[in-house]
Amino acid sequence: MDRVESLLKRPKAYGNIDGTGELGMGFMCLGFALLIWLQLHTPKDSIWNQMYVSFIWIGLLVAMIHFGTKAIKNHITFPRTGFVAYRTQNRIWKAIIAFVIVAMASAGLVLAARPHRHIVMPVFFLGLFLTACYAYGIARRVPWKWLVVLAQVIGLLAIAVLPGDLAATLASGAPTPGVLPASFTRFAGAFLLWLLLYGTLLLISGAISFWLYLRHTQAPTEEANEPANADVQ
Amino acid sequence: MNRQTQTFNELDRVIHEPGRLMIVALLFAIDQCDFLYLQHETEMNKGTLSSHLSRLEEAGYVEVVKTYRGKVPQTLLSLTASGREAFKKYRKKLKKAL
Repeated sequence: MDRVESLLKRPKAYGNIDGTGELGMGFMCLGFALLIWLQLHTPKDSIWNQMYVSFIWIGLLVAMIHFGTKAIKNHITFPRTGFVAYRTQNRIWKAIIAFVIVAMASAGLVLAARPHRHIVMPVFFLGLFLTACYAYGIARRVPWKWLVVLAQVIGLLAIAVLPGDLAATLASGAPTPGVLPASFTRFAGAFLLWLLLYGTLLLISGAISFWLYLRHTQAPTEEANEPANADVQ
Repeated sequence: MNRQTQTFNELDRVIHEPGRLMIVALLFAIDQCDFLYLQHETEMNKGTLSSHLSRLEEAGYVEVVKTYRGKVPQTLLSLTASGREAFKKYRKKLKKAL
């Protein structure tokens, strides 16, 4: 029975067999980090602080990840280890539910921590939650990815124990110093650090997976993708 | 005959064979895949996989569509509605028997 259950989970793991899942997430984290850094370090009336630019930026990031992943799958993964179409309905609902949970948890933690001096803690807990998701979704299927989990946890702990002012320096280069409250710059600095840490780790891990995939697989001959006889017509 | 033996006897023989069980379980979790994916995941040779697929197609559990990806021929496989239903029943009975 366990064997059947593990077989049912295998197609999910196949989605990241080439590391594209992690490359996409890493790219998204670094893209967000760049946007936030630009917003903090440009004048308030600059183009980067316009709401519509944020939406365009996010749209561009999503489009690049979507089409980039599709191109890798179509030209590299599917010809080597086969094509899979997932059940779309389930995936969309799962993604929506995950997004709502993460958004609500983040908002709740930010609100809860606001009156306290431990403004960095929401970042720590959000990071911990996403590390747990990564461990459950990816690391438990690929043993060496536990090293990535370890690096994420160490990085998170470092951010949590970092003096608030040090984290704030990353976000305090704003051209209008003093306008932003100190607690906000500490939070923004810690959040930026976390995005940079996660983005870099995921990109490295995804790139290693991609390299290993290319090394251990090769496209079969044309007829290898065909059944052996005419029975299967 | 005790109840457990009876339940084992009621298991769908088409699905119960280990190779075919592997194929049906993999197909159950997805919408569609090609022959190469199944070959990669099951580690069966082409002949064995083809014969299992033929048996499943005869039973009406698997749908096989021959198509092309660019100029390369591709065999797309998916579980039919009756295949999904049969697998659900099989899992239920197996859980009960164990």
